[in-house]
Amino acid sequence: MGSETTGTDSTFQQHGNRRSGRNWPRWLPALAGPVVIAAAALAGTLPANAGDPLPQKTPAEVLALAATHHTLAFSGTIEQSSDLGLPALPSTGPSSDPASAGGAASVVEFLSGQHTARVYMDGTTKARIQVVDRLAERDVIRRDSDVWFYSSKDNSAAHLTLPAHASDLPLGAPQAQGADPAAPAPTASPAESMMPMPEDLARHLLEKVDPTTAVTVGADVEVAGRAAYNLLLEPRSEATLVGQVAIAVDGETGMPLAVQVTARGAGTPAFRLGFTALSLDTPDDSLFTFSPPPGSTVKELQVPDSGQRTYEGHISGDQTPRANNFGDHAGAGKGPGHPSVTGQGWETILRLPAAAAGVPAAKSFMEDPLLAQAGVVVPGGRLVSTALLNVLITDDGRIFAGMVPPDRLQAAASAAP
Amino acid sequence: MPSSIPADIPGSARTQKVAVPRWSGLSLMQSELKVLFGRRRTWALLLALAAIPILIAVAVRLSSGVPSGRGPAFLDRITQNGLFVAFTAMLVSVPLFLPLTVGVVAGDTIAGEANMGTLRYLLVAPAGRVRLLLVKYAAALAFCIVAPLTVALAGAAIGAALFPVGPVTLLSGDVIQPPEAAVRMLLIAAYMAVSLAGLSAIGLFLSTLTVVPVGAMAATVVVSVVSQIADQLPQLEWLHPWLFSHYWLGFGDMLRQPVLWDSFASNALLQAGYIAVFGASAYARFTTKDVLS
Repeated sequence: MGSETTGTDSTFQQHGNRRSGRNWPRWLPALAGPVVIAAAALAGTLPANAGDPLPQKTPAEVLALAATHHTLAFSGTIEQSSDLGLPALPSTGPSSDPASAGGAASVVEFLSGQHTARVYMDGTTKARIQVVDRLAERDVIRRDSDVWFYSSKDNSAAHLTLPAHASDLPLGAPQAQGADPAAPAPTASPAESMMPMPEDLARHLLEKVDPTTAVTVGADVEVAGRAAYNLLLEPRSEATLVGQVAIAVDGETGMPLAVQVTARGAGTPAFRLGFTALSLDTPDDSLFTFSPPPGSTVKELQVPDSGQRTYEGHISGDQTPRANNFGDHAGAGKGPGHPSVTGQGWETILRLPAAAAGVPAAKSFMEDPLLAQAGVVVPGGRLVSTALLNVLITDDGRIFAGMVPPDRLQAAASAAP
Repeated sequence: MPSSIPADIPGSARTQKVAVPRWSGLSLMQSELKVLFGRRRTWALLLALAAIPILIAVAVRLSSGVPSGRGPAFLDRITQNGLFVAFTAMLVSVPLFLPLTVGVVAGDTIAGEANMGTLRYLLVAPAGRVRLLLVKYAAALAFCIVAPLTVALAGAAIGAALFPVGPVTLLSGDVIQPPEAAVRMLLIAAYMAVSLAGLSAIGLFLSTLTVVPVGAMAATVVVSVVSQIADQLPQLEWLHPWLFSHYWLGFGDMLRQPVLWDSFASNALLQAGYIAVFGASAYARFTTKDVLS
C-alpha cells in the first residue's frame, strides 16, 4: 500500500512510511470481513441444539408418538443425500420420461449425490411432489384417483387412474396400517417413485424395532426449525452394515422429520433424508390441479391387474429402492418370480430369482454400465459393495441384496436353491 | 511528484467536511450514470447482449425445428412460444456474456479514470474517496440491472416478432399467462442482477489495483471463468457453496410453481458476502493509495 511513492528523494520515502503506518486501520474491514464470515459459517455448522425444550420421553413414548401422528396437510422441502461410496454419477439430469423411468436408473440416482424435492400434502388423496433438478423438474400430482406425472426435461406427461381400493395411498394413513398389521403396507405411493419420504423410510425402519435393536432417545435435535426427539436405533446384531439409525420425531406432531443412517464404524451418516423446511398449513388447493401443458406428449398408463402391486409395471423403482435401502419387502415374497426374503430384522437378505418375470429391475440392474463397473468379481458372482448395502449378482443371474456383510450374501447364495 | 494526490492531505479533512454539501452524492451519481450510459462502449456491450436472443431466434426460425430435449433448456419450446427466446437467451448469456460485459464495466470503474488522467480531478473536487468508490460501484450495479433486462426485453421482442406468443409452461408443468410470464422474466433479471453484484465488487477491487483498465477487466472476466470451472470440479466440492458463480444457474427456480425462493436467498447472501469482502478491500486499497494520475 502506498508504495507508489517511488521518488528517490528520502523525504518522499519517509512520507510513504509514515502514511502506511497511519493507514493500516483502513485495511481492518477488509480483514475483518472474511473473519466474520468464517465465524458465521462455523457457527452454522455446529449442531443445532434445541436447548431441550421438549419434555423428557422414554423411547417407548417417542415410538408411540410417532405411531399416532396423523399430519395429513403440510408442505415442505425434503433433501436427500447419499454418500455410499459409489462412483459419482454424471449429472446428466433426470431420466427423461417419467413413465418409463427405469428401475435401476432411478435407484442408482438416489444412491448417490443429493436431491431436493418439494412436497405438498392435503389429506390422503391430494399430493404433489416436485423433484427439483437444475433447470428441470419432475412432478407427481395426485388428486383423488387421478395421478399425473410430468417431466419438464422433454415436456412429457403421463396419466394414471387409480383403482378405487387405492384411495388411501400416498404417504399418510399410518393408522390404517396399524389397525391391520396383516394388510399389505401401503406400498408404491406415486411419491416414492420420485423421492422417498422421511415418513415412509422411518416407518420401514421402525418396523425393524424388535429385540435385535437397541432403542434410545438422544439429545433433542432441530429439524426444519422444529424441535424433535432424536430416536436412535442401534442393531444389536454384528451381521449388518448399519451402525446406527437416527430418526427425528417432531416433538409436537410425532411426524418423522428426518432419517439418518450411519454405517457401522463410520463417523458421518451415509444416507440422510429429511425436511429442510416444513409448514403445517394446508397447501393451496390449486397446486393439486394439473392438466398437461400445451405441446406436451401425454401417455395414458394402465393400472396392472394385481390390486396390491398397483403401480408395479409402471414404477419399477418401487421395489428396488425399498429392497436396496431397507432390505425388506416381506409383502412381495408371495408369487413365483417375485423377490423373496431370508433372515430377519437387520440381517434380512432379499433374493431376486434369475430371469425373474415381471421384475424389470433385475435385468436393467445387471445391464447398467455403472453398476457393472462398480461391481467387483467375487467367488460366485459380482458384488456391488456400498457403505450400507451389498448386492451380489450371482453368475446364474440371481440377485441377493441386504444390509449385511458380503460373506452373508455369499452364504445365502450357496444355501439357496 | 507534485501531481500526486496522497491519500491524506494534512488538514484537508475539515475543508472536506465543509465542502460536502456542495457536491452531493446524488449529483455525482447522476453524472456518473450519464457518463456510463452515454458511452459508446456501454451501448456496444448492450447491443452485443441484445444480439444473443436475436441470433437464437433467427437460428431457430430458419432451422427445421429443435428436437425435444436437445440443446440448452427451453430451446425446444421456442417454436411454440416466442417468450422462451428470452429464457433461452438469459440462460445462454449467464456463463460468459454477462460476466464479460460486467467485467468490462466494473474493471473500468477506477482504473479507467486513472488511465484517462481524470481520477485526480475527481479527487480534487471534494467528493471524498469513499463516496467516489460508492458511486462507481453503484453505477456498476446499475449496469448489472440493465444488462439482463436488455437480454430479456430483446428476447421477448424478437420472440414475439418471429413466433406465436401464448401461455408459458413452467418447469412444474403449470401454465401461466403472458403477463405473469413477464413478471417471472423480471424476477429472473433481478436474480441475475444480484448474481452479478459480487463479480462487480471483485471488479471494483481489481480496478483499484491498477491504472491499466484492460488489465482489471481481463482479470475480472478470468476470475468469473475460473470460479465457474472450479464449480464443475467434484474434487473441490467443499468449495462450491463459496464460489460466487455457484448459484448463477439457479434462476430456473423462478420458473417453478410456486416460486422456489431458496436459491434466491442463498445467492443474495453469498453475493452480500462478496460485496462486503471485496468492497472493504477496495475501500482499503483506494483510500490508502496515492493517486498519481
